[in-house]
Amino acid sequence: MSLLELKNVSKIYGDLKALDNVSLHVDQGEWVAIMGPSGSGKSTMMNIIGCMDKPTSGEVLLDGVDISRESSKKLTDIRRDKIGLIFQQFHMVNYLTAVENVMVSQYYHSMPDEKEALEALGRVGLRERARHLPSQLSGGEQQRVCVARALINHPELILADEPTGNLDEANENIVLDLFAQLHKEGTTLIVVTHDPEVADAAQRTIVLEHGKVAREVINENFGK
Amino acid sequence: MTKRRMFLRMITASLLRRRSRMLIALLSIGIGATILAGLVTIYVDVPRQMGAQFRSYGANMLLLPREGAVLNSESLSEALRQIPADQLVGAAPYRYVRLDMTTRQQSFTAAGTDFTQIVKTSPYFSVEGAYPAETRQVLVGKAIADTIGVKPGSTMELTYQPVSGAADKTPEESRVPGARLSGKVEGFGGGMVYVSAVLDDEARLLSVTVDASTQTPEYGGRVPEDEAFLRQFTGKSLPLTLGGGIDALTGATVTSSAVVDALNSATETAAAARPRTMNFTVTGILTTGGEEEGYVFLSLPDMEAMTGTDQLDVAELSVSAGADRLEAYAGAVSENCENVQARLVKRVARSEASVLEKLTALVFLVTLVVLLLTMICVSTTMMAVVSERRREIGLRKALGASDSSIRAEFLGEGLFLGLLGGVMGAVLGFVFAQVVSVNVFGSSITFQPLLLPAAVIVSMAIAAASCLLPIKHAVAIDPAVVLKGE
Repeated sequence: MSLLELKNVSKIYGDLKALDNVSLHVDQGEWVAIMGPSGSGKSTMMNIIGCMDKPTSGEVLLDGVDISRESSKKLTDIRRDKIGLIFQQFHMVNYLTAVENVMVSQYYHSMPDEKEALEALGRVGLRERARHLPSQLSGGEQQRVCVARALINHPELILADEPTGNLDEANENIVLDLFAQLHKEGTTLIVVTHDPEVADAAQRTIVLEHGKVAREVINENFGK
Repeated sequence: MTKRRMFLRMITASLLRRRSRMLIALLSIGIGATILAGLVTIYVDVPRQMGAQFRSYGANMLLLPREGAVLNSESLSEALRQIPADQLVGAAPYRYVRLDMTTRQQSFTAAGTDFTQIVKTSPYFSVEGAYPAETRQVLVGKAIADTIGVKPGSTMELTYQPVSGAADKTPEESRVPGARLSGKVEGFGGGMVYVSAVLDDEARLLSVTVDASTQTPEYGGRVPEDEAFLRQFTGKSLPLTLGGGIDALTGATVTSSAVVDALNSATETAAAARPRTMNFTVTGILTTGGEEEGYVFLSLPDMEAMTGTDQLDVAELSVSAGADRLEAYAGAVSENCENVQARLVKRVARSEASVLEKLTALVFLVTLVVLLLTMICVSTTMMAVVSERRREIGLRKALGASDSSIRAEFLGEGLFLGLLGGVMGAVLGFVFAQVVSVNVFGSSITFQPLLLPAAVIVSMAIAAASCLLPIKHAVAIDPAVVLKGE
């Protein structure tokens, strides 16, 4: 059963076709990587899937709901309820501690719960760094806080934009291990990346070029 | 943890952990609130301050005798009871006469007064030397001092020449120590009976002479020669009544009665008026820049000793009250005192009112401008804060923050800043007002307890209003900013 389905989606900025008649689907529980060079339309696709932008034409079904024509207020609700976001720059609120940053996500979603937030930090191995400010954490630690923040509300879809782009190899492996765990628990993962190694960790890789799906690669070695 | 606690935690963390940025916003609100609270305190206190200040410009009320009545220390103190003691700054009585300095062949206007009161009603008087503290001391105006060349410590011999033309004086006024009186009354058969008398040092009759040449020689004509009859008058005080200590001469009742009546109506004659001379020590030279420099000032007891009367011409009052209250006090004096009438020195009272009006208008205007400047300043700062926190706002929206959450968070921060700034403003504003008051008006002010909540509410309102535009910008931020890499 597909969680996400794009049907003939185009996004046009003036003369530029950022996405050109793209169709694809992602099943529930699937781990998909999206690759492509700069300007291939990855970010535009990420914005549309993440309910932060609307396509010029086409349909986007997320969990059976067409999000291509919703108001931005409704999109905010959908994003909050169904999607966990992870960014390349591991954006954190810089004056809040690690645990507070996780709680911000709970705050907008439902109810802040410090105990649960601490458990989430424990899951990413940062239980004892919970009271540190972002400036006191390394890049890898910050990204792990962002993973904890993304999973705290149990989203159906985790959308990661170059999650390992600013990390060293050790931290990259920690983050990929976390993704593998989430995948095992049934969370759907879409990871936008440049890095073939990160793409190889996924079940399937979709390659974008000039706003179109150039090819799809099934990872034969997944899980091995 | 409830949502509200998380909300407060985020807001306080934003203000406390981003100190340097928020300090600027806090400072602008705090300084604005400080100036506002200070100005409002001064605004409230200005009428009182200025009222006291204006009192240094001299009297604003005059007490004068009513027509046919006498103003003296007694009727004056009766009139002063109509004015609340705490608002009466001072009341200086004045009695003006001409005094001669025969040694120099000069003549001056002399004012008898109470020097302890002059200090209060005319604080602008500048005295080289000292005010007289005892009797037989004078304060000399600069113009006179220059003319006759006296300095503090000099002595002056001053002479009071009673006004010629006895008709000007009433019989009562004439009965002063040493006076020579004369009077006439119609006696028996329409003929005039003339009397003249000399008073002793205590204004009692010393000797009485009678001219009864128009009277029947065997009866009334005997009066001038009857020593027993005349001796009755010695040592008596006027007025007299026949039968009340004075017995009529047998067979000359009408003439005797005429003598008594003539004495009662006798006045001081010009020829009999005796000049009185006293020596004075100069204690100080007075500079005022006004006509007072042409006067010699002496104490009321000295003036009374020289002129033989405690009459006053005018009393100058300095009352610390606004024009309306002043009017009411003047009305009360005029209504309740039979001897005294009150007049306002309109020039002073009116300029007081107009200066006060202008001053309050000015303070109001400055308050308005400061209010506006504070709002612009806070608004600009919050605007900078919003653009600095663009990414954070985008992140919050990407994490699912609705527009109203973003609005509530920024408004919450603004109100919290307003609260802190208001408390700071109330405290510092009072200090500011106190400093201004002490330096400008020379008096301290009392803390208005209402100032604290008022300052807090006003600065929270200003902060909230200043945040409206920045919030609009914050809400418009696209959550996708967090995705576009850089």
